[in-house]
Order: sequence, then structure tokens, then C-alpha cells
Amino acid sequence: MTVNQDEAERSLRLARVRAAMAAAGLDALLAFAPAWRRENVRYFTDARVAGTASLVLLTATDADGVGAFSTRRADLDSIAGRGWVTDARPLSARSAAALTERLKAARPARLGVAHYELLPELLTSQLVQALPRTEIVSATRLMDDVRLVKSDWEIARMRRAASVVDAGWAAFVDVLKPGLPEHGIVAAVEAAIKGLGAEDNFMLIASGGDEVRGMTAPTPRVLQAGDMVRTELTPQLDGYWLQICRSAVVGKASDAQRRSFDLFNEAVEAGIAAVRPGVTAHQVARAQNDVFRAHGLGEYCTSQYTRVRGHGHGLHIDETPIIEGNETELPENAVFIIHPNTYTPIAGYHVLGDPVRVTRDGAEVLISTERKLFEGAVR
Amino acid sequence: MKRGLVLFDSAEIAADEWRGRVAAVQRELAAGGIDVALIYGDVSRSDDIAYLTNLCVYWNEGILAVPAHGDPVFLTKLSPRVHPWMRLTSTVAEIRSGPGFAELVAKFLAPGGGGTVGLIEAELWPGAVAADIRQALAGWDVRPLAGLVRGLRQVPSPAEVALLRRAAASLAETAAGAAAPGLTDRERVAAAERGLRADGFLDVLADTAKTADGVTSVRITGQYRYLWLHASRLAATGTAAWPDLLRQAIAAAVAAAVPGATAADLDEAARPALDLLPAGVTSDVRWVHHADMATNGEYADYPSSLPIPAGSVVVVGIDVRFADGTHAAVAETVLATADGPVCLTREPGAAGAASAASAGRQVR
Repeated sequence: MTVNQDEAERSLRLARVRAAMAAAGLDALLAFAPAWRRENVRYFTDARVAGTASLVLLTATDADGVGAFSTRRADLDSIAGRGWVTDARPLSARSAAALTERLKAARPARLGVAHYELLPELLTSQLVQALPRTEIVSATRLMDDVRLVKSDWEIARMRRAASVVDAGWAAFVDVLKPGLPEHGIVAAVEAAIKGLGAEDNFMLIASGGDEVRGMTAPTPRVLQAGDMVRTELTPQLDGYWLQICRSAVVGKASDAQRRSFDLFNEAVEAGIAAVRPGVTAHQVARAQNDVFRAHGLGEYCTSQYTRVRGHGHGLHIDETPIIEGNETELPENAVFIIHPNTYTPIAGYHVLGDPVRVTRDGAEVLISTERKLFEGAVR
Repeated sequence: MKRGLVLFDSAEIAADEWRGRVAAVQRELAAGGIDVALIYGDVSRSDDIAYLTNLCVYWNEGILAVPAHGDPVFLTKLSPRVHPWMRLTSTVAEIRSGPGFAELVAKFLAPGGGGTVGLIEAELWPGAVAADIRQALAGWDVRPLAGLVRGLRQVPSPAEVALLRRAAASLAETAAGAAAPGLTDRERVAAAERGLRADGFLDVLADTAKTADGVTSVRITGQYRYLWLHASRLAATGTAAWPDLLRQAIAAAVAAAVPGATAADLDEAARPALDLLPAGVTSDVRWVHHADMATNGEYADYPSSLPIPAGSVVVVGIDVRFADGTHAAVAETVLATADGPVCLTREPGAAGAASAASAGRQVR
């Protein structure tokens, strides 16, 4: 990206957020990032932060600038180095004067806090004390909505993330062999994707036969010939998460495993076929579930066996859920994964899914990995 | 992120020790007139819950309810589908799932009909969650409690020290490889992931920082089971002279990390070497308890006069900042015994280093 493109992206974001703030009647917006939900601070800073608590303060006008704060001093260098905010200051969680003095100067009548639901009481109490006459409300949904549609700048980054996703899956298949523990697979995949610049990764895994009901963090279980190994693998590159869902067999696949793949592939294709600008998450989920229903397997689409039929992607791993009942509209350039992962009696829990972008007239699959039942050599 | 091995092994920590931890909390509750303690945790910070149960909050949030009498119960937003795995990897028998904590807590406490509930380290709870729970518990006295589980975690048991030694041997060896000459920054991080994940670490946070004269700091924080360790190493030193001074400084700070020592004491020990660093360099010498490494100590209060507790495991670190804004870091994980400090993450081959074999390292 050129400097001009970066500046255009930054301006676009500030304009989007300020428009949403105006619609919500907010004079100021504070984006809070605990260690596990940093998407909004990243949106404003385009910097990788590692602090236990980091925040960004934005008011309705450019004149006030955009201030960033972090409990980790090293974050200030990365934030300032990126140059997307006016200033970056150290923050003491126990004495957050750097933040509260800035807020007092802004004197907002109505302050929106993104991830207000996660803001520690330690900080909440200091905010309330500093702003006794300010109405403080959650702006989590506001920011979720702002981030839903990706810009061309963001799509370009997600395409780069897609290449790491493909490489991660290739490393996954390459390492499979009888005798390897599940956490050994994770070690190989992590090394491969980190070597390509991934900042982080979310990954669940399960190995075994028909008895497998779901995925978890890795266990010490060692692979055996004939196992189906399932994973959802979600590297983060330059801030953007992108997921692949696949299953691979250690050795040759059984007929049941092939039939299971065919069923899940049909559901993925049905989900992809449903995508168009303005489609709802409910409709994409229903298209996938209807395939199971048509095969007499509808009960396996319930919460007893599964969670969602996919979810949004972006600066957070798990954005809007693709699930029946979620009427969120998915406009052009929304990005999400379609994954009908669930248990069936055919071959146990099966994992298959591709991340897609909503195009002008359909869907674009963002990764290059073939959608098939992978078979690994028994070495 | 917590995507490494989750293991519950009674050969590592005996059932009696797990029961004893809960009993210690329950004694405190009974003494304070508290009927039930609630402990909040999320994927980034849930060590109190893990210390009492070995539960891994691998995603989202959870609350452990510890009654003054009876077994702990885990309340979570995670799906009931993961309950069997959570039971398999923890001491908890009862797990309840639901979309909101207030409803889960209210339902759990409903049979009690009133009493006193303590929120452990309430100031670190999400304010909205705590407020919802207070509102849902009409008829109950809801009070903030101090960090009593964190207090118990500060001095590891012999079983925990054994785990820390095993993990530290792995970290020392892996860090040495990650700081080897000739690697790119990405290759250093990849080496850390490969080595530690293969040895069964649950979480690995590795990154690098580079100074203008080409010296790279490799910083690796790892979580083994629920225990945290850290080491920072200097790599690619080129022709600069200051890295040796920084190594001398951290060696002096580690040697000073005896029970009762303060950050000021560590700084004083390191000062002769730090004072020889290039003009304009500033330094920060600190220690952080391993029990606080999930947050790097950023939510805890560490005045410079705070003494290192006897028998504790701490991270001793020095960060230096150059005039151009770049920085470098060195750090070790240290056991502060009455006989003196033991550097658990000492580089392989260094004087006094515990070998991986003698530390009981096992690749699982």
C-alpha cells in the first residue's frame, strides 16, 4: 500500500465512524481493547498492540485529534510509528489520568465505549468519576457495523492473509502421520504460518473416528492410520483474520468419510450459492442447513451438535454469526466463512468451509486450497 | 492464543493438592463470612480459575463459583458441547452454560435464598458484568474481595516448581535457538512456536525488536499448563559493544533477586553495567511475579519498594530505550529461594544452567 492509499483508508475510517457517531448522538467514542478483543483499537491505529489494556479516543471533530493509550510502553512505539493517531500515551490502569484528563477536556455529553461490556471496573469507575455529567453508553454494536463492510484496502490485506491460510493448511496435511500427537500438528502449523508473518492464529482440532463430536484445543492423543483429523485454522496477518475449515484422513479415506465429505461439500456449495449483496446471515445458514434436512439429518444442525454455519471475518475472528435467526444483512464486501461443521453419524464431526467475499452478484472464495477430503500418506 | 496442549495429569499435581487449593479458599471465605466466591476469567486472563481447577478458558469468558462448602461450579458462555472435554481436563464436575452470566449466577444461587457473595478481584471484572450480577442478586450482599487466589498462586508448590523447571528448560533451549545468528525475525518467532508448542506449551507469545545498530531482542512468553515463564535474549549483536553490558546487567539483577529484594535493589545491582551504556539510553529494571504474567503485571500494583516473596518465581527484566526510540530487552525467569536466586531459564551451557534432562524435561 502506498502512503496515499494508507491516508485515504485512515480518512475513510474516521469518516465512517464519525457518521455512525452522529447517527447515534455521540460526541465522543472510546474504543477499549482488552487483550482478547483488540479489533477496534486496531481499526483506528493500524498498529499491532500487545498491552493488557489499550484504548483510542475519538471526538466528533478533527481538531481534537485522535489519542491512543496503552498499558504497555512498547505499544506506543508501534502506534506512533504507524502514524494513524495524533498521539500515543502510556496508561496506568490504576491511575488513568492520561485518559481521563483528555476526556475531561473533550467534555462529551454522550460518550460511546466500544467493548464497554468488557471494560474493567477499575477503568469504568475512573471514567464515571471523571465525567459525572456524561451519559456513557456501549458503542460495541456501532463499531461492529462500521467494520462489517471491508474497503478495497482491507480486501487486499485479506487476500494476503488468504495465502497464509493456504500455506497453513498445506503444513497441516504435510505433517500428518501415525504416532504424531495433536499438539505436534499445532507446533508444525504455527511454525509455518509464523514464518510467513502471521501475528496470531486461532485453531481448534480433533482427531479420531466416528466418535468425534466436536473440536477442542489439542490433546496428547496420537494419530492413527484411518483417523480423520479436523481443524479450523485461522491465521491473523496484518491485523486480519481469515479461516479455513478442512478435514484430512491419515491414509486412505473410508467410504463413510467420503460420503460425509460429499454431504458437507453440498452444504458449503449451497451456502455459497445463496450469497448476494443484502443476503441475511439467516438465509446463508438456512441454505446450508436445508441440505442436511433434505438428507434427513436436520437434527444435526441444532445446538446439541453444532454452533454456527459460519461467521464474519476481519479484525476480529468471530464477527457476525451465520446462524438461522440472525437477520443481519451482508452487503457487498462483507467477508465471512461458510462452514456447516457439525456431527453426523456418517463419519463423526466433519469440518469443511471456505471464507468468501460478497461480490456485486455473488460470492468470491478467497482461498486457493481445493475443497476436497484430503488424504495423507501413511509414512 | 491458547491453542496449545491442554493436559490434566494427576501425576503432575496430585488430587490432594487440587482439593487443598479449593479448601484454602474456602477457609478464607468462611473466615470472612462469605457464602460463595465468584472468580471471573477470560481467554487472556483466567489463571485463578486454572489454579483451582485446571480449567482452560480457551475462548470467551467464564466464572468459577466457589461455595464456602461444597464443590466449585463453572459457569460459562461456551456451548454445553465442550463440557465433556472440560470435565476431562479439569477437576470440575459441574459446568453450566448460558448466554448471560447474571442469569447463570442467579440460577446457581437461587436455592440459597440469600447470603453473601464475594467477587474476587472485583476491580478487574468487566464493570458491566459485575453490575448485571449485582442487579440479578436482589436479597444477596454482593461484596468485592481481594485477590486471595492470586495470593495463593504467588509461591508455587513443589509440584508447580517441578513443572516450572521442566518448562524453563524447554524455554531456555528454544530461546537459544530463536536467538541464533542468521535468522530473520519471522524465523525467530517460528522457532519459538515450533519448540515450545511441541514441548506442550499452552500459549506462546513471541516477538522481536530491533535497534538502529542491528541488535535484535527476542522476547518469548510461554504458558505451560497454567504457569507462566518469560525469557528475552539479544541476537545478531553485530559489532555493537553494549549488548555485553546489558547481559552483565541482567546477570547482576538476577543475582540480586533474593527474597525481600525490591526493584530498586535489582536496579542498583544492574546499575554499574547500565551506566556504561551509550549516552541517552534510559533503562527500566523490574520484576513481575509469574502469577501476573498473563497481564505482564499491567493490572497489578508494583511499587519500587515491593519485595520479592520468598519461594516465589518472578520474571526479572531490563528494558532499555535508545534516543532514537528503539529499544532492547533482556529477561529471565527466576526462583527466589532462601539459598539464593535460581535462574530457571539460564542459557544452555551457561554456568549453573540446569540441563533439560536434569530438570526432568519431557516431550509430550
